[in-house]
Amino acid sequence: MFDILRELIFTSGFVSLSGGNIIMWMISFVLLYLAIKKQYEPLLLLPIAFGILVVNLPLTFLMDPEHGLIWFFYHYGIELDIIPPLIFLGLGAMIDFGPLIANPKTLLLGAGAQAGLYVTFFAAVLFGFDLQEAGSIAIIGGADGPTTIYLTSKLAPHLLGATAVSAYAYMALVPIIQPPMMKLLTTDAERKIVMTKLRPVSKLQKICFPIVTAMTIMLVVPPAAPLISMLMLGNLFKESGVVERLTNAASNELMNVVTIFLGLSIGATMTAATFLSPKVLFIFFLGLFAFAISTGAGLLMAKFMNLFLKDKINPLIGAAGVSAVPMAARCVHKVGSEANRRNYLLMYAMGPNVAGVIGTVVAAAILLKNLG
Amino acid sequence: MPELIAPIAGNVWKVLVAVGDKVELDDELVILEALKMETPIYCDDAGTVTEIKVKEGDAVNEEDVLIVID
Amino acid sequence: MMETDWSKVLEVFGSGIIGVFLVMFLLQILTQLSTRIIDFVENKNKDKTLVSVPQEAVAKEKA
Repeated sequence: MFDILRELIFTSGFVSLSGGNIIMWMISFVLLYLAIKKQYEPLLLLPIAFGILVVNLPLTFLMDPEHGLIWFFYHYGIELDIIPPLIFLGLGAMIDFGPLIANPKTLLLGAGAQAGLYVTFFAAVLFGFDLQEAGSIAIIGGADGPTTIYLTSKLAPHLLGATAVSAYAYMALVPIIQPPMMKLLTTDAERKIVMTKLRPVSKLQKICFPIVTAMTIMLVVPPAAPLISMLMLGNLFKESGVVERLTNAASNELMNVVTIFLGLSIGATMTAATFLSPKVLFIFFLGLFAFAISTGAGLLMAKFMNLFLKDKINPLIGAAGVSAVPMAARCVHKVGSEANRRNYLLMYAMGPNVAGVIGTVVAAAILLKNLG
Repeated sequence: MPELIAPIAGNVWKVLVAVGDKVELDDELVILEALKMETPIYCDDAGTVTEIKVKEGDAVNEEDVLIVID
Repeated sequence: MMETDWSKVLEVFGSGIIGVFLVMFLLQILTQLSTRIIDFVENKNKDKTLVSVPQEAVAKEKA
């Protein structure tokens, strides 16, 4: 009787519990609180937080290679690069490239914001990260979750948890991080600029855009193929209007299913042993830096373009060049309407915002080509 | 006769005035919802509301007339 | 610690910034071009239908 009890205690997780595990529980509880109470990106943060919790319960072997349940999700979903492109398929089926087609100049704004990402690359190398790690940290500035995960899993898989969580955290914090940068880098008069109306975009143009874009980008930077091909296929589903069932499947069911596995696997990479190191704090700091600098680079790019344009653009929309869709566009709209309440920038900001998604993928592909 | 047009496409979230109401410049007349964000639309001219062309929940396009003011 | 290869850092930095701009610029040109072509084709089709309708009407009247 006593022996059985003693054996129960010694095979339980309590004996193997470490202080680090308990700190990770706390982190998981904080993330759960942020997801449930504050609703910061709950669709991802909730499964991530739960993943962190369960993987830090000892002796469960959930992440054991070839054995653990979550390891299989992680291996097939993320290590083999299946989930991020599938998320992009769903994203493509939801994005309206109309504002971008109506004003193709905004593609340059999507590129402008990516300049911040390379500045961060430089900064991360100065902080002592190796080149692969620096690339993974820099991409956080693109504020695109799936791209960050895709690139990190190829360049520096050991940082996956930290870069993914900071990318999603900063996406949720767009309304807090971006406005100070916007106010710092633009004048009141610039924020008041009302933009000229967008031209209407025909259905045929919307159908051609994903085809032309997929061909162009894949020919020029082939490593972008997995993400761009899925993004553009999803968009073609939507714009063709003939495969409504596939559009809905990609943007609802498939997207939701893979989001569960993505969140859980990302959370499960964060064991106490890998996550509790000073490096991770630096990653969060550099991620914030990346995000702020990318916002600034987008704003400056817009101001630079204004030097040459007859119809001035409101430089605020440059800040939407980071790809947090549609949080960044909403933020631009809000700051713009504070300066001039008859200024409705939402649709103008959606142009650079969706261009930012393309820009971040291109930037990631170039990093992959040079560092992979 | 001045009209209040929708500056962006979206859904009508709230109509804040009724036919016969007197409105002033800069009054909030309609709140549109686009991309899960509420955008108030302000009055451009003072006058009396003679016709409301939309109801709450309607989807509107850019340039659609929302309210006619006399 | 591994020695940092600064020439590689600069290469990644420079080629990255230039690369992103070039690709996005190319995409801008191609988008504008395809928009122009589609506008042209659609306008032409519109003209055709405008012309062809009265002709049909005339043909019917004759019959």
